[in-house]
Amino acid sequence: MIPVRCFTCGKVIASSWEEYERRVSEFENPGKVLDDLGIDRYCCRRMLLSHIKLVDTFAPYQ
Amino acid sequence: MDIDIIELSDTKARFVLNDVEPAIANGLRRVILAEVPTMAIDYVNIYDNTSVLFDEQIALRMGLIPLITDLESYVLPEDCDCGGEGCTRCQLSLNLSAEGSKIIYSGDLLSSDPKVTVADEKIPIIDLRERQTLVLEAVAKLGIGRKHAKWQAGVGCGYKNMPVITIKEDCDSCGRCVDECPRNVLVINNDKLEVTDPLKCNLCKLCMGICDIDAINVIEKPNSYIFNIETDGSYPAKELVIQGADTIILKAGQLKEILSEIE
Repeated sequence: MIPVRCFTCGKVIASSWEEYERRVSEFENPGKVLDDLGIDRYCCRRMLLSHIKLVDTFAPYQ
Repeated sequence: MDIDIIELSDTKARFVLNDVEPAIANGLRRVILAEVPTMAIDYVNIYDNTSVLFDEQIALRMGLIPLITDLESYVLPEDCDCGGEGCTRCQLSLNLSAEGSKIIYSGDLLSSDPKVTVADEKIPIIDLRERQTLVLEAVAKLGIGRKHAKWQAGVGCGYKNMPVITIKEDCDSCGRCVDECPRNVLVINNDKLEVTDPLKCNLCKLCMGICDIDAINVIEKPNSYIFNIETDGSYPAKELVIQGADTIILKAGQLKEILSEIE
């Protein structure tokens, strides 16, 4: 799951994840999507840019 | 002291604070980060959890969800009449009961007080799959950012000195400072060097270094600061600054009381 807040500054970034994921999967430029979502600082940007979803990987082993 | 507001929205504020000592400007910043009380989930009773995350991880995620703070109805547990044991004056509960398969959002939390709700309803808490369930009760309390970052109302709060950029008469408009400036503050207009927006300047002074004839000068205006404040949603930005100032007054009052007791 995407962390709720940015590790460095504490801005809530989880609520932007779904729009980010959807738009990036439609081959939009991630940098531009982050600008649109109002995620300006590089600490918050790396949270979304570098996130890897693991729920699907773990789900079969419950 | 006076304030020029540059930008003010619910979550962001940007203003110029004039005629204040650096100590006051820094005091305001620190109080907004660490001393303004906010509501956050502090304790979670988990009755059932068959999701992919451990109980602890879910509890940590819940703690970081911002809640709209109502300082009139609630007090800090240590200041409460109950002595911090937990009563309706110092805590409230939020309930969640969900079954998969769907994503559970912060908006699914049911608060026992309609005034204190989640500030952002779209935070995914957990992605539940088929036959996975999550039943819990979360207890929210007031707290301050110094104790834990989940009680920190201000995020990315900071200030910088107000830059003053002066261009002398003997500038030959060579344009090297325009290329050097990382913030694109300078521009050449009709063969004349001009400053577009001095608020964008980050006082790096690279333009001064590259100019051979010392025609450009950048200084920090003393006792004038550009403040940037962002909130996590627990307060509107304006309210947060007011609460910050109130907290300084409160602390100064406490200091005065202690000092007056000393003969």
